[in-house]
Amino acid sequence: MRLELTSRSFAGRPVLGALTLEVRRGQRVAILGPSGIGKSTLLRIVAGLDRDFQGRRAVPERLAAVFQEPTLLPWRRALANVTIPTGADRAAALALMDQVGLAGKDRHFPRQLSLGQQRRLSLARAFAARPDLLLMDEPFASLDADTAGRMLDLTAALLDASGAGLILVTHDPAEAARLGAQPLTLSGTPARLA
Amino acid sequence: MPPPGPRAVTLAPPSAPPSAPRGAQPHAGARRGRVPGLVPGLVSLGALLALWAVAAALTGNPRRLPGPWAVGHELFAIAASGELWFHAGMTLFRVALAFVAAMILGGALGLAMGRSPRLDRWLDPTLVILLNIPALVIIVLAYIWIGLNETAAILAVALNKIPVVAVILREGTRALRPDLDDMARVFAMSGPARLRHVVLPQLAPHLAAAARTGVALIWKIVLVVEFLGRSNGVGFKIHLLFSSFDVAGVLAWSLAFVAVMLAIDAGLLRPWEARANRWRQDAP
Repeated sequence: MRLELTSRSFAGRPVLGALTLEVRRGQRVAILGPSGIGKSTLLRIVAGLDRDFQGRRAVPERLAAVFQEPTLLPWRRALANVTIPTGADRAAALALMDQVGLAGKDRHFPRQLSLGQQRRLSLARAFAARPDLLLMDEPFASLDADTAGRMLDLTAALLDASGAGLILVTHDPAEAARLGAQPLTLSGTPARLA
Repeated sequence: MPPPGPRAVTLAPPSAPPSAPRGAQPHAGARRGRVPGLVPGLVSLGALLALWAVAAALTGNPRRLPGPWAVGHELFAIAASGELWFHAGMTLFRVALAFVAAMILGGALGLAMGRSPRLDRWLDPTLVILLNIPALVIIVLAYIWIGLNETAAILAVALNKIPVVAVILREGTRALRPDLDDMARVFAMSGPARLRHVVLPQLAPHLAAAARTGVALIWKIVLVVEFLGRSNGVGFKIHLLFSSFDVAGVLAWSLAFVAVMLAIDAGLLRPWEARANRWRQDAP
């Protein structure tokens, strides 16, 4: 993945300045910075959700994302939430659900799961896509310390096993360190990477 | 988290999970929707019949206002002769075709207009005009321009309903969750998969509302279409009975068809709604 950004403005006000971000398969990068600096905007540009920027973007074919919220399909059962968006087969999806500790929950609807379980389902979904690059936007925010810790370990293990690259957006340097991600800080107006 | 959305109880009585014995769970919605819900309905229906019987007795003119028994007798006669099934079948056929056409075309139009503000600005005036043209005008024009045939009849009915469906679905589309849209895009879900798994489930309450009002509106318009220019169907029969001032016949035919439409509501629409809303229930 390589992004050469010239700028991204909102209503004429530049939010992101010139920056280059390059992540290869297996490489892990964390984007740090205070709230509102443009971390999520940068991630949305990488994800292809924000196309209103100046610059060049080249991404691998298979992307996956873990959003701030679990962002599951409430009307599909847990297993279908893994297989439908990713095209993963049933066996692979069940194996991943097992790995994230959701064995036996495949027939549950998302609202029948706790928030922690929903987040783990969202993690299983991301890895079911067999991504070359995983994008994570504050996926551990609003989780208690214990749950966040277990999610981090789980994420690290799944990243090791899959060899996917990672771009993690977070405001917590400890999260980046725990995932072994190279910390990059977004700062200034318009924001640049350092 | 899922949007608050319309609660299941307002759309369909949520059914208790098959494993749990009914009434074992303190599920207020399920209880309110079941047995006690039937009693007031039956009582009010009985009261209506009684009122009708009294009015008929007081009028003392069975040609002007026949009693329930006379209409019941008439109903039995047309059912036994097979006449009812043929004409009700023809009407139902037109209702079904017009309904399907209106739901698909109106739904697609509403979805497109809800998605694209530009398209909405272009098409909105036309939609408002179509919404305000009286059904009768569309029917008359369709018969004049296309001819007194089945195509004109069904097209006229569908045209009356399309803007209504479009407006309902447009509102639903505007309320689609952007986060799920993002998710579908990042995971590169195909267009058909997105429609089926992401968009349509969110539109289910709006589709149900459009279907419910649609069926009610469409069969009434179909009757007018048949009255004016068809040689079979319930509307055609009512036309004949009108010319002979046969009130018992008119009532028998319309009641028979109301029963058919109620059966469709209970047998098709409600089970579909219950299925589409299963995910809203808390119990695993």
